[in-house]
Amino acid sequence: MNPNSAIVGLGMTELGKVFGRTATQLAVEAICKAAEDAGLSLSDIDGLYVNPGIKNDTDLRLQSALQMRNTRLLATIQAFGSSAGQMVQYASMAIAAGMANVVACVYADTPLAEGKRTGDSYSGQQRALQGVGALPFAAGLKAAPERYAVAARRHMETYGTTSEQLGAVAVAARQWAAMNPLAQMRDPITIEDHQNSRMIADPLRLLDCCLVTNGAIAVIVTSAERAKHLKQPPVYVWGWGQGHPGYANRRGSEFGLVTGAAQSGPAALAMAGVSIEEIDIFELYDCFTYTTLVTLEDYGVCKKGEGGEFVASGAIAPGGSHPTNTGGGELSSYYMWGMTPLSEAIIQARGQAGQRQVAKHDLVMVSGNGGVLDFHSTLILSPHPKAR
Amino acid sequence: MNLSPVVRDDFSAPFFDAAAEGRLLLRWSPSSGEWSEPTALVCSVTQAADLEWREASGRGSLVSWTIKPGRERDGVRTPDTVIAIVELEEGPWLTLQVVNADDRSRLAVGAPVRVEFVQPDGSEYLPVARLV
Repeated sequence: MNPNSAIVGLGMTELGKVFGRTATQLAVEAICKAAEDAGLSLSDIDGLYVNPGIKNDTDLRLQSALQMRNTRLLATIQAFGSSAGQMVQYASMAIAAGMANVVACVYADTPLAEGKRTGDSYSGQQRALQGVGALPFAAGLKAAPERYAVAARRHMETYGTTSEQLGAVAVAARQWAAMNPLAQMRDPITIEDHQNSRMIADPLRLLDCCLVTNGAIAVIVTSAERAKHLKQPPVYVWGWGQGHPGYANRRGSEFGLVTGAAQSGPAALAMAGVSIEEIDIFELYDCFTYTTLVTLEDYGVCKKGEGGEFVASGAIAPGGSHPTNTGGGELSSYYMWGMTPLSEAIIQARGQAGQRQVAKHDLVMVSGNGGVLDFHSTLILSPHPKAR
Repeated sequence: MNLSPVVRDDFSAPFFDAAAEGRLLLRWSPSSGEWSEPTALVCSVTQAADLEWREASGRGSLVSWTIKPGRERDGVRTPDTVIAIVELEEGPWLTLQVVNADDRSRLAVGAPVRVEFVQPDGSEYLPVARLV
């Protein structure tokens, strides 16, 4: 399939410690802003995909909250961190199939509660521990940091990746964030700050971990033809992919070493008809510093096992050869699951990133990662229409 | 050691009955001759839907691990928790607390462990790993 769609609208609510508003209220605001950004009205939207976050407290009933009539496409999409990329893929296919003309895709979540510790929001569901499935949780593998820590440790033991190299990812993200007015964390940090930050789950320190954010982000997808007549520079979808490794919990598993990005990235590049060397900007899902590093390897930006040296070389930082997470990523800007890399990709592709704008922004590669490296989606976006 | 209590369900009853006797059960497929983790519903190699419980050796080795730092509570620091992926001789991986990793240098890929069982308050017997 040759994609023929474009992202024409981007809407973002206030992001961060936003209290007193429900995920549905935030989602409505993000969609209204995305429609206005595109120069469309809500009544133009005839398709809606809803990605609820960890709180899982909004869903396809968002349609009625938006007073949408004659909706032709409607679903809740829950593929965790890979959802944003997947929604754009399904929206593009639905548009190509004539099922809908204008599709809104939204993520909304309120994991932060006033007066509660940030760490509590992703510390695993409160559940009665029952049966053999509860054994890892009972042993202490509860929240995302310790699960990713086991993956990162395996990468370190296998390839010699170091904590300082992970720190280079955090420092680069913060350098980019310093230039992003939307970023929650903008004060500069050093490798030393990273090394001195408190250990969360060895080998992951506080500055290896992403933020937790309340808010919503929506994008509007329509056909490439229609996109030309709207308000914003269109961001054309050139290619996509997914990869869900389904790690077997057994001998030979590549958990921690190779992720779904190794399947998803090349598939997206092939669909786009471009090589990894042609990509100008990488917007990668960075729930942890390690995730950025392993995704760069799996996409083929550097060789497997050389991600540590690659990020420590300054390649991904401002001024580097491979600008990556140019808004500060989930580590330093805001954590809106796959909408974090996607929103920054749209801003960069349009050329609207201000001080942090990357000069050459013809091709942007966007990743989404969910579970513990279990679910992966990729988009390749461009401000130029794809040659057909 | 600070494991959370786990109660049984119908599916896990044989596993926990054996655990109380110090025996580790895994899932095993007669058609493939392959072993799968205790939660498996179909064979982790062939997807055959003929799994049954079967006693495993309880011997394995470390694949990877994490250390969760203890926390200060009322002036007392709780001990660190070491959690590891253990590859059993039969092939499946289990996520287990490591009970004797005070000497951190013993944590290494391939380090041999033996599965033991402990019983937290209000819980079934649960598997843990001991470095040997």
